[in-house]
Amino acid sequence: MAEETVFRLEDVYFSYLGRYPALCGISLDIKRGEKISVIGANGCGKSSLLHILDGLIFPDSGKISLCSKELKEDAFEDMAFSSDFRKKVGFVFQNSEVQLFCPTVKEDIVFGPLQMGKVKTEIKRRLDELAFVLNIEELLERSPHQLSIGEKRKVAIASVLIIDPEVIIMDEPTAGLDPLTTRHIIDLLTEASRSGKTIITATHDLHIVEEISDTVYVVSREKKIVGSGSPERILADTQLLKENNLVHIHSHKHRDATHAHPHLHIDHHH
Amino acid sequence: MFKNNNFIERSIKGALIFLKQAVFADEYALKKGFLQSLDPRIKAATFFLFILQALFIKNLFVLSCLYLLSLSLACFSRISPGFFIWRTWVFIPLFSLFIAIPALFSNFSPGETMVSFKVGALSLFITRQGIAGALLFVVRVAVSVSFTVLLSITTRHFELLRVLRIFKIPQIFVMTLGMCYRYVFLFVEIIENTYLAIKSRAGTNIHYKKGQRIVAWNIAYLWQRSYKLNEEVYKAMLSRGYKGDTFMLDELKFKARDWFWLVFVLSISVIFLATGVKI
Ligand SMILES: Nc1ncnc2c1ncn2[C@@H]1O[C@H](COP(=O)(O)OP(=O)(O)OP(=O)(O)O)[C@@H](O)[C@H]1O
Ligand SMILES: [Mg+2]
Repeated sequence: MAEETVFRLEDVYFSYLGRYPALCGISLDIKRGEKISVIGANGCGKSSLLHILDGLIFPDSGKISLCSKELKEDAFEDMAFSSDFRKKVGFVFQNSEVQLFCPTVKEDIVFGPLQMGKVKTEIKRRLDELAFVLNIEELLERSPHQLSIGEKRKVAIASVLIIDPEVIIMDEPTAGLDPLTTRHIIDLLTEASRSGKTIITATHDLHIVEEISDTVYVVSREKKIVGSGSPERILADTQLLKENNLVHIHSHKHRDATHAHPHLHIDHHH
Repeated sequence: MFKNNNFIERSIKGALIFLKQAVFADEYALKKGFLQSLDPRIKAATFFLFILQALFIKNLFVLSCLYLLSLSLACFSRISPGFFIWRTWVFIPLFSLFIAIPALFSNFSPGETMVSFKVGALSLFITRQGIAGALLFVVRVAVSVSFTVLLSITTRHFELLRVLRIFKIPQIFVMTLGMCYRYVFLFVEIIENTYLAIKSRAGTNIHYKKGQRIVAWNIAYLWQRSYKLNEEVYKAMLSRGYKGDTFMLDELKFKARDWFWLVFVLSISVIFLATGVKI
């Protein structure tokens, strides 16, 4: 496969209301078909970064481009461009509460493809398929806001996957999900990746990092990228993980001596 | 007598309160009764026709027939009559009684005196026209409220929204209404959760002053949250390609039963109007 760059960020700065910095000089390249994960402490700017990638907010300074077309606020005024972009890039929000706004689960899931004018029979087929895989068939006629947090998340994921975007961005897709559902979602992502999709995930869950990424980026509390590399390398760098709240020192008593060691959430040997 | 405007305003207000109450209970809308099986468009249109008739019919007997019709429809739709009558009669007509009572008296409805009494220097006469007018008014309100309630409890709220859209109510208005629905639900939930959170941390014996502060702070916080939520929801819509109009997956289809119902309603409406409008 040709090494085609999908997203390129060059020295991107962003702050909320001009006062609360969220990204301070982020540069990165994302290749087509790559699996990327972004990890870091709470409030380090992961969600903000993903919002920038989805063209929902725009850098104060620096540049972001998708397939070498710069993403700017006025570029989205162009209907053709914006609808093309929305078809290409799908985003699962961290807070599923905001992502679901239709009266029923079913309508919420089909909202995207209907907006994009896809064929109705095809939409129905995808709907049935996703509902089956995510095990949300019984929820289809319910109101999304009456569901449990995990159910909402599954619906939110379905509502993005049904668009079948080339780039799938997920903000903490497995937070609050039970192990089996987490497994299903990782399998879905792996399958999507195999069919050539680009997958970008923000997460705290180091268990899943290895499976869902070719490259891991660590974002520091200074809102900068402080480390990147293969998951094996990053997960082995306890110092880096410790500095970013991703592991904690696990201390316990062995008879009379207190013994402390870093507690990685990837292995469960104790 | 009564200004029609005033009447419409009261009825609409009453209907809105009922809509709000009925909105969160989908249980009746999910039952398999007669009204539930009708197409929401036909149902909304025919009910609107009934309410319009109630405004024009001046004959008490015909109005009562309309009211009986609403009761029997409720029965055919598996709504317990007790629940339905309680809903329609206890709440809203109370409101309308407040307007109806002053109209009993001669000062407002001049005419043939039936009862007279003195309150201080003021002598009051209840007139026959006054009684008739008040009665007519109350039954009118009862009919409109009954049909509004029936419509709202036998139709799921998103279908109502869809109907509004079909009747060419502007998209922005319908979207806003839909959002309001979501917000009201969310607010109720936030208030509930906040209350639980306070209870779990402080117990129920919170000092009055402190409780007041918490409530005040919460209201401010609620506004802030709703603003933020609004922004986020909009982002979520954009992200999935929202362009300003919504589309439906299942098109509504008229069934034979809908046409029968429509013909039935039109014919009894002709009869009602023919007998009811000229005194
Ligand atoms: N709407 C907002 N208004 C003001 N500041 C904000 C807003 N959203 C985020 N921030 C600030 O921006 C910074 C980055 O937030 P962001 O949500 O991107 O973090 P995050 O890495 O996703 O955190 P988490 O792991 O908790 O989801 C934080 O310091 C936060 O306080
Ligand atoms: Mg976040």
